[in-house]
Order: sequence, then structure tokens, then C-alpha cells
Amino acid sequence: MAFFQRLQTSAFTDWFLGSPSIWAYPTVLTLHTVGMAILVGASFVINLRVLQVSGLIPLHRLQPLYRFIWIGFAVNLASGLILFVTEAADRVVDPVFYVKLGSIAVALVLAVVVKRRSLQPAGAPQVASVQMRSLAAASLGMWTIAIVAGRLMAYLKK
Amino acid sequence: MAAFAAWVESTWISKALFGISWLWPASESLHFIGLCMLIGGAGLLDLRLMGMFRGLHIRHIKALMPWAMAGFVINAVTGALFLVMQPHLYLTSAVWWSKVTFLVIAGLNAALFETRLAVPALAMHPDADTPRQLKIVGAVSLFSWFAVLYCGRMLPYLGTGN
Repeated sequence: MAFFQRLQTSAFTDWFLGSPSIWAYPTVLTLHTVGMAILVGASFVINLRVLQVSGLIPLHRLQPLYRFIWIGFAVNLASGLILFVTEAADRVVDPVFYVKLGSIAVALVLAVVVKRRSLQPAGAPQVASVQMRSLAAASLGMWTIAIVAGRLMAYLKK
Repeated sequence: MAAFAAWVESTWISKALFGISWLWPASESLHFIGLCMLIGGAGLLDLRLMGMFRGLHIRHIKALMPWAMAGFVINAVTGALFLVMQPHLYLTSAVWWSKVTFLVIAGLNAALFETRLAVPALAMHPDADTPRQLKIVGAVSLFSWFAVLYCGRMLPYLGTGN
């Protein structure tokens, strides 16, 4: 706890939150939103396809979208870490933060499972199994929870 | 604009909506969800128009557009709510007007695609590269939507926004 307190009251935090520069807090926050758009946007499209929306798209052709998922995730992991440092002591005791992290973790696992089991080779069935469709629907739900939790955190800020 | 914003804010509808404590945060969450739907669906079409994602039929990607459009509608409605609730944050902000400008560019660009370029584009072979005008339309669309996002997210920190 003392460690997180130290992060939150560090010189970096003071500079980051206090700086009038748009390149500090505003830009990192905006990067977090851009990363979300890329990550969740790509996952959204894959999940829709697995749920038979745009059902004529060959499933395996969506595999390159995973590059966008991982790029978006990397951007948000990095920007999220910075944002976390500056409010570390508040966040480690914030249950909403853990809801957000948990739903992101589940959504990413679901994305990998869907990729391995549903987006496999050409010539494979182009209609995902009921099980895979449920996972795609669950993934959409997880992203929704993650976004709502993320927004809520801004309101629960001390 | 400031006077108009003050007038809007004095109306009962503005006060009533802003008085609902959960409406603003709920609209923000929906605004973020809508943006993911819009950028996800429209973004894939844009990338294909730019010549990426060969193997995907443009016609098949277009089946995602009602979902992208749904995201746009969610954001138009929640955006209108923000505007009615706190007009002074937006109407006097150059950043907000930039956002509106990029929205108009994205809209005109989409209209250009639909009216002039869609028919041959939808008939293209899935493996075919796209002609230059489609690459431009896709790039303009993708850039405009991210510019809309950027202006929206930076609005509280740039210019006159609060």
C-alpha cells in the first residue's frame, strides 16, 4: 500500500497531472481512447462475424484483425499503466478497477479461444458452433462491462 | 453563440435532463460503446477500400454497416444530450467545431462513396487491389473518424472547453 501511495504522490504524478501541457495527461488519456477504439472495434467486428452478421466473410480472413487487437491492447496497457501510476493508491482499493481488469482479461482470453477454434483454415465450416457464438456474445458483454467500468472510475476519483 | 448556449441552458428541458444525475455518465459510457461500434465496422471497410484485407469482398463487409450506423446513431443521440445539457462546453469551443467539421467531412465522404463509387466497388473481386479514388475515400474516412474521436476526447483540455 505504501508503494502505491508513493507512486501516487511521486514527482512524476505531480508533473503528469499538474502540467499544463496537452502532451501529459490529455494525450495519454486520448491514446487510451484511441487504443480502445482499435482494440474493441476489431474485436466487435470479429464477434459480429462469429455471430453470423456479415456471414459471407470467410472466417479465417479476419485473422489479420488480431494484429489490431494486440496493437490496441499494447497502446492501452502502456497508457493504462501510466494512468494507474498517477492514481495507484486510489485504484488498488477500487473494486470497479478490478471489474474492469477482470472483464478485459476474460475478453482477451475469449478472443484467443475464438481465433483458435473458429477462425481456422479455409475450407473449414463457415458457420461458428453454438458454443463459439456464445463466447462471441460473452466477449461483447465483457467489452461493454470494461467500458462502463472505465467510465465509472472517472466518477469515483477522489 | 455564448448567448444561444445560455438560452439553451435556461430551458426546462436542459435543466430537467441535466438534473438526472445518472444521465451524463450513462451517456458517456454509451458514447464510448458507440464509437467502438462505428470505428470497428466502418474501419474495416475503410481499410479494405485502402487496399488492405484482400480476400474480403467489399460487398460482404458492407453487411457490417448497419452496426456501424447503429454506433453512429447512439453517439448522435448521446452527443445531442451532452449538447442540450451543457451547451456552453461545446458551442463556444473551437475544438468542438473542429469535431463537427470532421463529422461533416466523414459524412460527405461516405455520401460520395455511396452515390458515386459504391456500385463498382461492391462488384470488385475480393482479391483485387482498389483503384486510387477508393483508397482516398477509405483514408479520408478513417482519418476523419479518428479526428472526431481526438477532438472529442481532447475537448476538455484544448481551447475554451472546460
